[in-house]
This record gives sequence, C-alpha cells and structure tokens, in this order.
Amino acid sequence: MRWLKWFEFRGKSLFHISYSLHRLTGIVLVIYLVMHLSYLTSIRMGREVYEYFTSITLTPAFLIFDILLVLAGVYHGVNGLRLILHEFGLGYELRRPLLYLCYLLTLVLWLYASYQMYLFVMGV
Amino acid sequence: MDVIFRVRRFDGEKSYWSDFVIPAKKGMTVLEGLYYIKENYDGSLAFRASCRMGICGSCAVKINGRPVLACETQILHLNSTTIKIEPLDNFEVIKDLVTEFDGFFTKHEAVKPYLIRKEDRYSEPEELIQKPEQLYAYYKYSLCIKCGACYSVCPASSSRDDYLGPAAMTAAYRFIADSRDEGDGERMQIVCGDCGVWRCHFAAECSEVCPKKVEPAKAVQKLRFRSSIYMLKKFFIRW
Repeated sequence: MRWLKWFEFRGKSLFHISYSLHRLTGIVLVIYLVMHLSYLTSIRMGREVYEYFTSITLTPAFLIFDILLVLAGVYHGVNGLRLILHEFGLGYELRRPLLYLCYLLTLVLWLYASYQMYLFVMGV
Repeated sequence: MDVIFRVRRFDGEKSYWSDFVIPAKKGMTVLEGLYYIKENYDGSLAFRASCRMGICGSCAVKINGRPVLACETQILHLNSTTIKIEPLDNFEVIKDLVTEFDGFFTKHEAVKPYLIRKEDRYSEPEELIQKPEQLYAYYKYSLCIKCGACYSVCPASSSRDDYLGPAAMTAAYRFIADSRDEGDGERMQIVCGDCGVWRCHFAAECSEVCPKKVEPAKAVQKLRFRSSIYMLKKFFIRW
C-alpha cells in the first residue's frame, strides 16, 4: 500500500496538498468513468433500464454528488494545466501565484457550474 | 525557557517516543539541544552531525513534521514548547535519528556527478575557461549538500524505491548544464530511463524544504525538457 504515501502531507506545504488532491481527484474521475460507461452500457438491456438509471442522476438528492464530481473534474483539469506548464519548464518562478490562481479558478468555475446544475435539476 | 524535546527513538526492534526537558536559550539550536540530551540525560541517543554550520548536511531531521537541518534551526524560533524530532522519511532508520543513506548515495553516484571530458590530457592539463553566464547556468545547483531533505518529502521517491530522486537529478543537471562537461549522452541515458525524470510529478515539495534553496524541482523540470529533446533526437537519428 505504498501509494497511500501520496496522501501523507503532515507538515508539508500547499504544493504537496495540491499533489495529493490531484491524485485523489484522478481516482475519483476514474471511478466516475467506470460508472458513466456502465450507465451508458445499460442501454443494451433496454431503453427502460437506461432511462431508469439516468433518471436517478437527475434527482435533487443526487445533485450533491454531481456538484462534488464537478469540483473533482474542474480541480483536476485546472491543476493539470498548471502542471503541464511547469513540466514544459515554464513559469517555475511563478509557481506560487500560479498555484493560488489554480485554486481561485477552480472555485469560480465550480461555483458557476454548480449554479447551472442547480438551475437545471430544479427546473428553475 | 524550558522546552520539551519529543524524540522518535528506534532501537533496532521497536519504535517509541522519549521526552526530554531542554533549558533553551536565545540562539540555541536543535542540534545543541540534542547534544545536551546526549551529555546530560541519555548517552545512547543516536543522531548524525558534523560541521554544525549547515555545510555538511549530516544533521537533517524532521522537526515538527518538516525536514530541516538541526544545526540551522533555533529552538526559540520554532515558537513551541514541545518540539517533535523524527528521522527523515523515505529512508530506513538504523537507530533513533540516524537513517541509512547508502541507497541515496548510490543513486547520486549513478548519475555520474563529475566532469566528463572526451579527452583527459593529464600530462598537458589545459585550463577550462568559463564566462560568468556559463557559471550561473549551473551554480545554484552546485550548492546541494546532499542532506536528503528533498528526497524525504518526494512523493515519487516514497512510492518507488528505484526512482533516482530530486537530489540525484539536480546533480545530473548541474553537470549537464556545465559548459565544461562533455558527458551529456552518458548521463541522459540514465535520467531518461524508467527511474529518471519521468517519475517526477511536480509536487515541488523538494524546493520548498531545501535548506540551501537549490530548487531541485526546477532542475528536474529543466532536465525533463532536455530529456524530451534528447529522446526526440535519438528517435529521428534511429529512423
């Protein structure tokens, strides 16, 4: 279970927390992908089964999971762009402002997406 | 002011905590506190130290969860009445605060941390002249004292034993960036390999904890860029 060491960040900086969160959100997205493909595959069992499964995800109770999923997706995407930039050897000196910008962008995009999802699910 | 030192001990079989009361004075370092314990409380306490001035890198330990040099950390600057002292992570503990550095130095040695010249003419030695800008290209990376602080926080090193680690890769970049060096090919073979630069995922914690501000994360990213060019060149030359 050495991979659990990805999540050991006691006494470490925000950079390490970002790394751990990137791994965590990556795992969440892989689980989501498997679930998503399973839902899509359910159409092979008939239209009713597929529609039953998708109707579950459009309930207000499920909205909280969707909101958390969007948070994971947005964070993983925005932080991934930051990492790609650094891994090309660019913006190393700006790594701290870029990290803060990454969190700010994640928060803004997540709040906007959550609001839109709320409007959609509630039918407002 | 009395400060409690909570030291993580290991006797070869079991791990436990020992508490010691240290009469801390202004300017007193954690290393001096450890010597105080050894001289007054428990002579069996094991820790590494040598220069006592942040040059040798022997005394790197984890203080309050962060790897630092014990000789450069003043007790009163920690603003804490209890100080937790532990051995570095990602290293096997031999006794108390002493960790096994063999693997670390083997990795360092693996990247050939010395100048490689195509022709060494020892009978007629020549001066290898450098401009200041050529020196500045690698100078910062030559300040590494091999304390192991970067290696101890590296998540890639913690999950894979064969990963070279930030310190070794910084040493590799230090020589690759040196205008006098002609050993790019030999070193690139090693750093482009399975346990080289591509195992780094830019947690950048190595640069955060480096006591000499060497910035290993920057060296690894620069090395990664050079590795890409080297691998592309190798690929097209083959075809």
